[in-house]
Amino acid sequence: MDNDSTTVTDSVEGTPRSNDAAGENVNTAPTAGGTSRSGGSSSDVVIETRNLSKIYKDFWGRKKVHALKSLDIEVRKGEIFGLLGPNGSGKSTTIKLILGLLFPTSGRVLVFDKDATETKKNELIGYLPEESYLYQFLNAEETLDFYGRLFDMSGRQRKQRIEELLSLVGLQGARHRQLREYSKGMRRRVGLAQALINDPDLILLDEPTTGLDPIGIREMKDLILALRDQGKTVLLCSHQLGDVQDVCDRVAILHQGELKELGRVTDLLKVKDITEVHASQLSDAAKQEIVDVIARHGGQLQSIDNPTATMEELFLNIVRESEARPGARRVSATPQDESVVDESQSESQPESPSESQSGSNK
Amino acid sequence: MNLQPDDFWTFSQWLLRPGAFLESALLQGIVLVLLAILLGLLVAYVISAAHYGPGEGFYAVARSIRDFLTVDLPGTSPRRIMALAHLAFKEAIRRRILFVIGLFVVILLLAGWFLNPDSDDPARLYISFVLTATNYLVLALALFISAFSLPQDIENRTIYTIVTKPVRASEIVLGRMLGFVAVGTVMLVPMGLASYIFVKRGLDHTHLEAVEAEQVNGQIVGETDRVRNHSHEFTIEDGETQGLTAIVRGHRHVVTRDGDKFTIGDPVGQLRARIPSYGEIQFYDRSGEAKEEGIDVGAERLAGGYGNAGISRLIGVTGGTRKLEHSYVEGGTLGMAEFTFSNVTPKRYPDGIPIDLSVRAYRSYKGDIESGIRGSLTMKNPDTGAESNPIAFVVNEYQIDERTLPLEIEGTDANGETRLLNVYDDLVNDDSQMQILLRCLDRSQYLGVTKSGLYLRPAESSFEWNLTKAYISLWLQMTMIIAFGVMFSTFLSGPVAMVATAVCVLMGFSAESIYDTRHFIDTNVSRGGGPIESLVRLVKQDAMTTQLDVEGVANTLIKSADAMIVYTMDAVATALPNLPRMMATAEYAASGIDIFGAVLARHCVATLGYCILAFLISYFFLKSREIAA
Repeated sequence: MDNDSTTVTDSVEGTPRSNDAAGENVNTAPTAGGTSRSGGSSSDVVIETRNLSKIYKDFWGRKKVHALKSLDIEVRKGEIFGLLGPNGSGKSTTIKLILGLLFPTSGRVLVFDKDATETKKNELIGYLPEESYLYQFLNAEETLDFYGRLFDMSGRQRKQRIEELLSLVGLQGARHRQLREYSKGMRRRVGLAQALINDPDLILLDEPTTGLDPIGIREMKDLILALRDQGKTVLLCSHQLGDVQDVCDRVAILHQGELKELGRVTDLLKVKDITEVHASQLSDAAKQEIVDVIARHGGQLQSIDNPTATMEELFLNIVRESEARPGARRVSATPQDESVVDESQSESQPESPSESQSGSNK
Repeated sequence: MNLQPDDFWTFSQWLLRPGAFLESALLQGIVLVLLAILLGLLVAYVISAAHYGPGEGFYAVARSIRDFLTVDLPGTSPRRIMALAHLAFKEAIRRRILFVIGLFVVILLLAGWFLNPDSDDPARLYISFVLTATNYLVLALALFISAFSLPQDIENRTIYTIVTKPVRASEIVLGRMLGFVAVGTVMLVPMGLASYIFVKRGLDHTHLEAVEAEQVNGQIVGETDRVRNHSHEFTIEDGETQGLTAIVRGHRHVVTRDGDKFTIGDPVGQLRARIPSYGEIQFYDRSGEAKEEGIDVGAERLAGGYGNAGISRLIGVTGGTRKLEHSYVEGGTLGMAEFTFSNVTPKRYPDGIPIDLSVRAYRSYKGDIESGIRGSLTMKNPDTGAESNPIAFVVNEYQIDERTLPLEIEGTDANGETRLLNVYDDLVNDDSQMQILLRCLDRSQYLGVTKSGLYLRPAESSFEWNLTKAYISLWLQMTMIIAFGVMFSTFLSGPVAMVATAVCVLMGFSAESIYDTRHFIDTNVSRGGGPIESLVRLVKQDAMTTQLDVEGVANTLIKSADAMIVYTMDAVATALPNLPRMMATAEYAASGIDIFGAVLARHCVATLGYCILAFLISYFFLKSREIAA
């Protein structure tokens, strides 16, 4: 995981697991943390839902679905907040309520201390919808120009911003093609670009990685992290657990409209009774010694192994190499011997053991 | 063309109706806006009270009004509106609606086969055809593009990316309306040009030769060959090489003599835009008594003619029809129609007074069928009573008979002496007023006129500009329908919004029939009754002028249900824009009369008013709507 690069701003309160674990890598802890709900100063809270409920009704006012039940969450400035849950758990409903696309049945949503139905708040918000609902007959440049105008940006501002965004999402080459000709991934990128057109302080991403290829997913994740590093707040909802695990600082897990879990990802996922050691260039003898050490201290050795890479890494490596040496064909006789599992350079390599461990833990 | 009383109103008369403020358009507009606001508040309060409880509901309604006035209206940005308008425009173009222009051209091409240029008044036929075709096509188009766009955006959820930007509901509504109006404009311009070319080319003809030409007293008098069922007589003065033909079917040609050969030029004066100067009309009966009306020769007042009565209709102050129909003057008696014209000055009429007559004849016996009914015109000074000798004419029915009254004419002056009179010296009074007396010369035959049947023609406008004005009126109708379509589409699904708009359009179109029905119910006249009664009559195969053949309670039930329906429809139709009135401008263009500035101005103002109303309603509906629901 990206522990060393992560900047966790805040500890989490009010959840069962968070109290004892103040993460090792907390760089900044502006609030006391973990004691009172209203601990965060109000200027720090970007989104606040109070007892938020939503009941979908049919035309005659009969209740159809209780989509959201008394949700209370706070999203703080500068964090990446994940809304997690299976399909139909109320994630999208929450996002729509935050955006003012839906009106709460009861409770309130405050965004930047304003009611969610106020249009003014949108000046600071970027929203990437679940699918990129864009006008198919416009091309990328026209699309961005249109959304730029909606922010009342001047022509010069728009031009500059469009250039920045097109290069950010890598669509310079396709800027004059109509969106209808785009692949799903490209549409997603335009969607993202339009969400960022106003350089928003708060970015809402509805299923940001669906429809993207592994490279796209990686880039999206990197981008989300980069946005956070610029001090922006990101709220994303997803059922791709990998996304959430990689990038989110905190997550809320919803199920059937109810909040089931809320906390920092590092805390929620920490398996406290298992220790993990990664080392490179160990001889077999050294490994044996380690095993002995564990035995001496009464520990229980679960496995000692060379980690396997994930499919994602394999894929990314192949692409990286093919871009470096176009045309050369890779013969994958013994992938282990080649650079795929280069332990010294692969950053995200520890993923696999941790996954296997958490699997065995349950 | 028979103008109705409110056609003569000036703009301020229409807006304020001095003396009958209940009929004023301004009052109607204010009442409509107030009603919309009141109803809107009431409905909004009921809904939000049901949602949030009575106290909170009141707060919600108050907040949304506050938002509208303090945030949304001042924060409305032209750039956003233009961006949205541009989008709506592109979207409509993407839907290939420009093919409608192609369709229109095809209609014109086919119409060329069916419109008969040999008919009596081909200009009217052609012009009214192109204007009607354009009208219906454009209205249908406006209906489609405006009603489906917003619901489709909501369904496709493309609206999500818009409403999550700092875009006000007002901007979305306004952007759409403007975008679609731009689309309609882009459609109307080529359609108008195509129509103009079609009319111009369709009416163009030339006569090939002079069939008979002979020298009479130095003049050459001849007749052209028959083309399109008509020929012209012509004269060429002694020593001249060019002459003019007589006016037949509203046009004439220039004839050029070259030795024994005559060449005949293109038709002149077919497409006109006469600027009329109407006078006040006063009828006198057979014994010379002043009467409000002439003789009514039959039931011409069957339908329509209610005009703009504003809310006075609604509250029942103005009930019946006010249709101006032809009033008749009996021949060979003291009966006459006296027109008083103002502003008769040498500056306006330097060489003779051009006068246009469209008079109807009613024969009480066959008489001499060949020669037509004869009438006379007499110029008279309203103050001194000096009169010119009568100028006789033969009635040319269903055509505009153009004459020029001379400036010097024999007559009887103020002292009863007969001498040569000068029009401006003797027949026009100090207020520049002159009277023209219309009499019928044949005994027991009748001449019928209305106020618009006889007018002076101080100037002409160009036909092109008149046609443009007719198209502007069309454009206004389109704008109105787009506003209504967008309004309905903010709270109804596409097809339902279209049907609702279409119902409004149809009610607007048939407003006069609805008024008629109400009038018959009010005055207890059996004329088919309301919808239920009509249905009963249809099933029972009863004639519509008999008493309804249903006894007792059923009768009362039917009648009162009908009355309720008809009164409701009457109210709705009164509230809706009066589209037939707007369509009537086509009649001006077809009749070759310049569309009055006042008429166009009030259509403009009415359109603006309805657009503002539709905008307000749209705004509140869109604002209070859960976009993602």
